[in-house]
Amino acid sequence: MPRHDRHRRIAIGLVTLAATLPVACGGPGSGSPQSTDTGTTLTERPTCGKEAVTMSGYFETGFPMPKALTDEFSKQFPNVKWDIREDQFAVITQNAPRVLADDPPDLMRLPQVSELVKDNLLKNLDGYAKVFGWNSWPASQLAQLRMKPGGGPRGEGSLFAMGLNFSVTGVFYNKTLAERIGMSKPPATLAEFDDLLTKARQANITPIVQFNGGATGGFAFPLQNLMAAYGEPGPINNWIFQKPGATIDLASNQKAAQHLAGWIKAGYFDRDANAMDYAKMMSKFQAGDGLFMFNGDWESGSLDKQMPGKVGFFPFPPGTTGGAAAAMSAPLTFGMAANAKHADCAAFFLDWVATNPVARRIAVDVGGSHPMGPADGPMPQVAPGTVTAETLTAGAKISQDNGAMDFIANATGAIYAKSWTPQLQKLFAGEQTPEGLLKSVQSDYQGQVGR
Amino acid sequence: MATLVADRAEVAPRAAKATSRARRYGQGWIAWLFAAPAVAFYTLFVLVPMVRTVQYSFYEWDGIGPSPWVGLDNYVRVFTDPELSGTIVNAFELIVFFSGIPVLLGLAIAATIRRIATSRLAVVARTVLFVPQVIPLVAAGIAWSWLLSSTGLVNQLLSAIGLEGVTRAWLGDFATALPAVGVIGAWVLLGLCTLLLLAGLSKIDPALYEAARLDGAGPMREFFSITVPSLRQEIGVCVTVTVIAALASFDIVYIATQGGPGNTTMVPGLEIYYQAFVERQVGVASALAVVLVVLVLVCVLPVQRLTREES
Amino acid sequence: MIVGWREAWIGRLLLVLLMAATVVPFVSLFVTALHPSGTYPAGLDWPREPRWSNFTSAFEAAHMGELLASSALIVVGVVPVSLLLATMAGFAIGHLKMVGRRPVFLLFVLGLTLPFEGIVTPLYYQIRDMGLLNTRWAIILPLIGLFMPFGVFWMRAHFVNMPDDISEAAQIDGANIWQQFWRVHVPLAMPAISSLAILLFLWTWNQFLLAIVLVDDPAKRTMAGALGAFQGQWGTDIPLLCAGSLLVLAPTLIVFLIFQRRFVSALLQGSLKG
Repeated sequence: MPRHDRHRRIAIGLVTLAATLPVACGGPGSGSPQSTDTGTTLTERPTCGKEAVTMSGYFETGFPMPKALTDEFSKQFPNVKWDIREDQFAVITQNAPRVLADDPPDLMRLPQVSELVKDNLLKNLDGYAKVFGWNSWPASQLAQLRMKPGGGPRGEGSLFAMGLNFSVTGVFYNKTLAERIGMSKPPATLAEFDDLLTKARQANITPIVQFNGGATGGFAFPLQNLMAAYGEPGPINNWIFQKPGATIDLASNQKAAQHLAGWIKAGYFDRDANAMDYAKMMSKFQAGDGLFMFNGDWESGSLDKQMPGKVGFFPFPPGTTGGAAAAMSAPLTFGMAANAKHADCAAFFLDWVATNPVARRIAVDVGGSHPMGPADGPMPQVAPGTVTAETLTAGAKISQDNGAMDFIANATGAIYAKSWTPQLQKLFAGEQTPEGLLKSVQSDYQGQVGR
Repeated sequence: MATLVADRAEVAPRAAKATSRARRYGQGWIAWLFAAPAVAFYTLFVLVPMVRTVQYSFYEWDGIGPSPWVGLDNYVRVFTDPELSGTIVNAFELIVFFSGIPVLLGLAIAATIRRIATSRLAVVARTVLFVPQVIPLVAAGIAWSWLLSSTGLVNQLLSAIGLEGVTRAWLGDFATALPAVGVIGAWVLLGLCTLLLLAGLSKIDPALYEAARLDGAGPMREFFSITVPSLRQEIGVCVTVTVIAALASFDIVYIATQGGPGNTTMVPGLEIYYQAFVERQVGVASALAVVLVVLVLVCVLPVQRLTREES
Repeated sequence: MIVGWREAWIGRLLLVLLMAATVVPFVSLFVTALHPSGTYPAGLDWPREPRWSNFTSAFEAAHMGELLASSALIVVGVVPVSLLLATMAGFAIGHLKMVGRRPVFLLFVLGLTLPFEGIVTPLYYQIRDMGLLNTRWAIILPLIGLFMPFGVFWMRAHFVNMPDDISEAAQIDGANIWQQFWRVHVPLAMPAISSLAILLFLWTWNQFLLAIVLVDDPAKRTMAGALGAFQGQWGTDIPLLCAGSLLVLAPTLIVFLIFQRRFVSALLQGSLKG
């Protein structure tokens, strides 16, 4: 069948041609120039105007505060409506670059910002910061959100995001269970904390409820607290901010990882921690199924409501008596897409959140955390004896001790999902050594930062 | 496989049609007008992206910025980086569950219920067994992650029969997560395979079985010397469908485990998604995609060969 | 025959067991869906006070009305066009003996085994450059293309078996090819076309990967994709998630039960690419 052969040859030839054409034309994408965007220069404060505006938002599920803020904002400025989409944080992390580039929201809950800034996906807020006076706030509030335009270590430079409030992490404890093992005051040192864990175990109480399942390895909380107990927050922050030469594989961090492995071996966690997600941890803790929980003050408001008077909070104790307290503490990060349609209105909203008394009240009551804004901003009254009061005090102590750290999960965009989570899950299952865990994370980190 | 059915059917009429074909030669070109829209859609949304997948696999690209040519580097990474090559190993392990269980168990079941294939119970069963094929895999994933959770029904049943020692969060345990995902896949595919094989069985001449009985053959002999050989074609279809489902699995894993714990359930499909859209390593994602496409072909073509040979 | 009698009972028992295993996940979903929202019920526990309201809250939380409309729109966009294109191409390749039909058919057959993951990455950028990201077109257009291999393959198998005499009779009546196609061949192909329609409906409705990659807004996705988003948003509330899952799979189940005969035979024949 010569005829068929000829046709087939033609067809194959066409396909081959089609295949080689684009290759010959070079790679996909375009060489994007280094960003020189230094933020819009503004002479007066932007507002949301008088016309009807619909702001597009992309928020995190399960955290009512941002929604409460937008509702209140619409009450005060009725021309502004909100179209808000919600996802779990892990999903937001996955979607962030795509959404910012191809479907730019006006206001978005952000994961780690380094790569987003490198790819010019976030709006430079310097112009707004200047005109609204954000730069005169305590510098530590915004340091984590600063970067050189176009990339570089985090911690200084232009402002690329804002916080809705300023949260602090530590250890929540169930007061009823604490009484049962004779815990009358929060532990002052790591050794005392260890002692309490042993006592709880002996009393058949789960010492720590901690999630470590799915795409989010919650053991990063205790691990980083232990790191701070064995070492200094400085080097950890350098690593998170991607300072040149920084490493997580430090001797003190190895001790921390070994300590965590010791807890795992001693059976201080639930047997199914690797299958436990955040919500399940919360429901277990609220059901009284565990003494301690490593978590952040964003839960204070809801814990005060769910189990009033039954929960206490303390910052993770230092290694030695009288040592400085350190904790993960970060703004609840929100930003705008570089091409956001209503950037001015979003900026006005962010400033309103930090300065309006009602908004600050919501930040504390619903959010459970310290509001952003000037040091002398109006502080809402908090009832004494609540967890919220305790977390606010703890936050003040941390900033006094200069012990604020960003979260090790925020070092790069992929480090949490692709490195910490699988490695911590392996550590829990006994498939990874403490030393191997840090080495492995460090090598992933170098691969990601190097690009 | 259906290809076989179609081709076989084609042979006879084709020879007889030689003359009329010549008469309709002029239609040969007009026919292109009929085929053109389908070819256009196929080219634009399948062939072009496929060619681009191959193209991207030679570049390092984050989806936005410039893209330097890196030759075969991405492929080297796919085969040397344990995180990536591990996904391929996992996919092959899934074949054991996605293909092995439905085909073997399906065969056994079909052979056992052959005699009652026309009863009312079997008619009802036909409907029920098909349900997993009809619902979205996402729903199957959600239902099963709940069944297999630490407080789920599976553990409840195990405890009830005194096996409390083995209860665990099946999808969260390093040793059992991948098999647990495999079980979900087996559940989805078992009904389909059973019914396909049963349909094949109904085509076998009952006289064959009676002759075997008269010769004193037991059920086992009967199974291996009549049932299995006659079902070659249907077994081929089952194996093909299930192998593709295993290698290209995405929905179930995405919902049930997201690849965890560790990377124990990471499969190529999910890794491509993560590499392309989370890590923004479009080149690596594309290289893995090319490997996956080739892998599917390499696994499926021999099955086709084997089941075709006979005729 | 005693053996036969025993065999029949073993067979019956097996069937019942198999059906039970098939149904159990749905029962578990259902029972869990009746527990108070936000709790972690244990296994198959019938709740003391079944919360039927969970279904209404899931219906509202998932914007089920919008989702149904969206999925229906996508199906309407994909299925008729795919059927038309596939039937025409199958006719050309299988009946008209199109010039170069073998390489063209081979090209389609190669697409049969193609996993969607193989092309989803460039497809994303292609759809983005076409400005169609986050629209229903982003799912509709690629799906039509992706269904072509199977559709053409399926319809060709039908047309290849059609005797030539049919066309010849029509030709004598003076009908041109286009008229022959519509008046003679399409009506005769109806059984094949309707089976294909069922399969394409199912595959469109349940399409997940394209939906989550190409469309961010769950309200513009397919049912399966929307369920993925629902899990992403409410995965932390198990009873609500179970109720939502049941609501999402209810439409396919209903359609399946109505057309079950056709479904079963179509799926059995079409299992090539299930």
